Amino acid sequence: MVPLEDDDDEDRPNYTVTTDANGNPRYVYGEIEPVYDSDDSDAPANANTIGNIPLSYYDAYPHIGYDINGRRIARPAKGEALDSLLDSIDIPEGWTGLTDPATGKPLQLSAEELQVLKKLTQNDMPGDGYDPYPDMVEYFTGKGMEEVMPLSAAPEPKRRFVPSMHEHRRVMKMVKAIKEGRIQPYRPRTDEDREREEAEQEYATYDVWANEQPRPDHPMNVPAPKLPPPGYEESYHPPPEYLPDKDEKEAWEEQDEEDRTRDFLPQDHSALRKVPGYAQFVKEKFERCLDLYLAPRVRRSKLNIDPESLLPKLPDPSELKPFPTTCSTICRGHQGKVRTLAFDPTGRFIASGGDDGTVRIWDFTTGRQAWSVKLSKDEPVNAVAWRPGNDTCILTACCGENVHFIIPQGELCPPDQEARSREILDAGFGHAAAPTTASKTASGATKPSASTWSRPSSTLQSHGVLLTLTLRTTPKSLSWHRRGDYFATVSPSTTSISTAVAIHTLSKHATQHPFRRLKGLAQTACFHPTRPLFFLATRQRIRIYDLQQQKLEKELQPGARWISGISLHPLGSNLLVSSYDKRLLWHDLDLGLTPYKTLRYHSKAIRDVAFHPGGLPLFADASDDGSLQVFHGKVVSDEFENATVVPLKVLRGHRVVRELGVLSVGWHPREAWCASAGADGTVRIWM
Amino acid sequence: MATTTTETVTAPAPRQTQVRIHLHTRSDDIELPQDTGPILVSTEVKRYQLSTLVNRLLETEKPVPLEFLINGQFLRSSLDDFLTQNGISAETTLRVEYVRALIPPLYVASYEHDDWVSAVDVLSPSSKPVRWMRNAEGPAMPQRILSGSYDGLLRVWNTSSEVIATGQGHTASVKAAKFISPTQVVSSSVDRTIRLWKFEDAAAESAGTLTPTLELFGHKASVDRIAAHAPSSRILSASADHTIGLWSSKKAEAPAAPEEVLPSANKRRKLSNTKTVPQRGPLSQLLGHQSQIADVCFDEKDATVGYSASWDHTVKTWDLTTSACVDTRTTAQSLFSICHLSESSLLATGTSARHITLIDPRASATTVSAMTLRGHTNVVVSLAKDPNSSYQLVSGSHDGTCRVWDIRSVRAEAMDRVGDSVYVIERNSASGGSRPAAGEGVKVFSVCWDADVGIVSGGEDNQVQINKSTTS
Repeated sequence: MVPLEDDDDEDRPNYTVTTDANGNPRYVYGEIEPVYDSDDSDAPANANTIGNIPLSYYDAYPHIGYDINGRRIARPAKGEALDSLLDSIDIPEGWTGLTDPATGKPLQLSAEELQVLKKLTQNDMPGDGYDPYPDMVEYFTGKGMEEVMPLSAAPEPKRRFVPSMHEHRRVMKMVKAIKEGRIQPYRPRTDEDREREEAEQEYATYDVWANEQPRPDHPMNVPAPKLPPPGYEESYHPPPEYLPDKDEKEAWEEQDEEDRTRDFLPQDHSALRKVPGYAQFVKEKFERCLDLYLAPRVRRSKLNIDPESLLPKLPDPSELKPFPTTCSTICRGHQGKVRTLAFDPTGRFIASGGDDGTVRIWDFTTGRQAWSVKLSKDEPVNAVAWRPGNDTCILTACCGENVHFIIPQGELCPPDQEARSREILDAGFGHAAAPTTASKTASGATKPSASTWSRPSSTLQSHGVLLTLTLRTTPKSLSWHRRGDYFATVSPSTTSISTAVAIHTLSKHATQHPFRRLKGLAQTACFHPTRPLFFLATRQRIRIYDLQQQKLEKELQPGARWISGISLHPLGSNLLVSSYDKRLLWHDLDLGLTPYKTLRYHSKAIRDVAFHPGGLPLFADASDDGSLQVFHGKVVSDEFENATVVPLKVLRGHRVVRELGVLSVGWHPREAWCASAGADGTVRIWM
Repeated sequence: MATTTTETVTAPAPRQTQVRIHLHTRSDDIELPQDTGPILVSTEVKRYQLSTLVNRLLETEKPVPLEFLINGQFLRSSLDDFLTQNGISAETTLRVEYVRALIPPLYVASYEHDDWVSAVDVLSPSSKPVRWMRNAEGPAMPQRILSGSYDGLLRVWNTSSEVIATGQGHTASVKAAKFISPTQVVSSSVDRTIRLWKFEDAAAESAGTLTPTLELFGHKASVDRIAAHAPSSRILSASADHTIGLWSSKKAEAPAAPEEVLPSANKRRKLSNTKTVPQRGPLSQLLGHQSQIADVCFDEKDATVGYSASWDHTVKTWDLTTSACVDTRTTAQSLFSICHLSESSLLATGTSARHITLIDPRASATTVSAMTLRGHTNVVVSLAKDPNSSYQLVSGSHDGTCRVWDIRSVRAEAMDRVGDSVYVIERNSASGGSRPAAGEGVKVFSVCWDADVGIVSGGEDNQVQINKSTTS
């Protein structure tokens, strides 16, 4: 076999044709030289094929094995011992002293190979100049390399936008099937499903409320507070007024997360499917759980009482008619304050007295002044009162130190009444001598009498003032006994305590001072309507005296700091006390010494109080706040039932002048009409 | 005939809802023919169109203005609005009552006085004193207005606001004054007397005079109201001494005055006039009221029956021939005025509770209050009947207004039938401002309604005010 040495001659076949034993042509292929560009790259040049046997077996032979073609591989020529010695002295370049087991020749390694081996042992990169981290070669990207690769620039076809009829039909089929029950949209989850799902889940979940039983309403069971229901703001499409404007949005964003009143901004989405996932969902749920876990829930003991049931059952004011509701007449004429007023016993007129020293009588339905008299230039009229009884027509008026007895002129009283009144007033003159002599003998001739009964001046007499009682003190209140013979005057003065309270007898023109030593400053007094009792109010106490036995029967303690007026119920068992410290006190005389009820409705001092004298269950008070208050106060004769007090009406209208409002109040003897005297100079009738 | 008219008038316009109405009235003179059945009208029509329709049906020469009442309410808007407001279906047949329209009374004049005016009365061709004297020269009678004042004077005015005659004699405020006849006037006063006056109208040259002819004594207190009936020459008086006096206006018929009430018994009272006037006493005194009498009136049909209203809450019916109390009706409030509405047999009473209660005085009536007219804000002290209609009345109140009422216009409430006023007449002196509290300064004390003169009222503003419906 001739190896193909001529590389250039490619046309020559790499075989030779010989004739075999049978005479047929036989192709003998030449040796393939595995050059660099040959297909066989890994075949060793002359690989020994003896396998894994020691070379020493071939020591007896001139060859050391066989190559792939069965030819003997000749033993490399071994130098002579001298040569070997020479070789050992002169170590050639690349000498290792190793024998290449594949060739049997001494293994020679070049300097490069040794360098590589050295680097390998040092865990270095073997190649010199080898870059382990080369820059990426950008074959397809980078500047100028961008490739535009649209699949298609054709416009989107219409079918992508319109619902597919085909799908629609299929869906409708399914819908129909669901409706008819042929398809179950979902299988109800069974326990096995749930278990399988749990098993499929990669992590373990623990539902702590899974086995929670609805607990009975135990007092210690505090249910979790409910979350407030979502409002418009939480809507995915809130009304425009809930959407924040630019400033609000900015303000919200600038705020610290802790300070925000709400942790989201209302946003508008045109459709529910456009709402993105809520980023805060897990956080919110977590915080809710944290709140429920950490927030202490305190059980407050709540009073489970219907507040309505605590209120007393009071009748409706509209059922308690009649009572005065509106101002019906205003009587103007007094200059300055009107201090006092009184309805006449027949109920036709009203008398009033004021700071201008006049007593005026009014026709109260029209407001016409029917009559007037000026009693004094500088002293005010402090009290007016009609003598009780329908048979006479006598008006008493306290002006200064005098008590005047007046029979009004001008056809106000019928002639027979007038005649009877004159008789009563004149009757006492026959008795007048006796008491004056008695006082003289008791204390010497020089002592002036405590009281003088006399005829007034002729001008006053022509006006109808027929009798004047002059005291040494200024009486501020006057009250008649119901028989019309006795009356009491009270002069609240600190200088003459012994003569502060006086009881006068009209028929005898006599005056008594029953209380020589009185504790406290006397304010006002009144007689009991049926029994011989006398009620005297000092500044803080009310004393009830028995006139027959002449002893103190009771002392009431209203608790007021300064009593302004008292009024006794016509049946005589209930007493109303008004005080300057804004309180109105109802005393049930059968119940005890302290008030049965305290009515504190006024904002200023209460000046006067009056029960209806004619049997209607009404009373009214007058206050410095310019208002009157009308109450329903029903007194029952049954001792076991308490009196009912219902506030009915606040009557406003009086002007407040220099801190003074309404100074006096009085009732019509029969009707539910009341009258009030105001500091604004008017008398008002309320119907 | 009527049916054809109906069709022409109510030719149905397309797309308009129609309602079937049944027209009826209580006035005989404007009654529709019997065969007029329910009529279909458009719901768009208002009062005016309905009025034209009825006038056409009636074939009147001069159209009569009419008002329409449905369920006791006046039709003030279109039928459609009315049905909607009241929730009535348009398919029902409405019963519509038509009445002569009440023209709003407009202010005519005021007569200025020196003091408060307590009483007014009117003498006119259609007024009662003229109608009582049948042979009078009716139409030629001039219109005169009588007023009594708190200064104690009676004044007679003509319509051009001039005082024709002044009557001086009362020693205190006059509280009531009435014409008995065109020549006779009666007045009462706080001085407890009733005085009869002869009135001579102003002749060509001389001024008119009021000459006292008779003084009637007997009351012990102020005589607040009087009622007069000329044909029987009876006078009723309401006094504050709880009695009602029955008097005769004839000097010969009246008994002598009781001695104890004569002013001569009391030396303190000085007689102003030297000329002696005859003094007479009452025919009888009617006792029974527990409080002062506020007002009296005669029965419009039967002059032997009188009615009285008192502060003791009662209305009493008196048989005047026997001077006995026949019937007592107790109400809940004090009463201040009374007026007899003869056609409906009702008594209108003004109360202190600021309304007018209509009381049926007949013995057969089961309830005391037939109707309540609400609207005043103060006591109602004077009532007068509409001379043209038996259903309307005017009231004067201390709140400073006169109100005109129609007793057909009522609505049913829980306990009562309640009516509202049709018109409110304010005092001209207080016009422009708001009403003062408690009617101060503008209280109306007396009101009188005359067919010719109109509504005459006197009050605290020292004025007699005349209001008149322009066409009535």
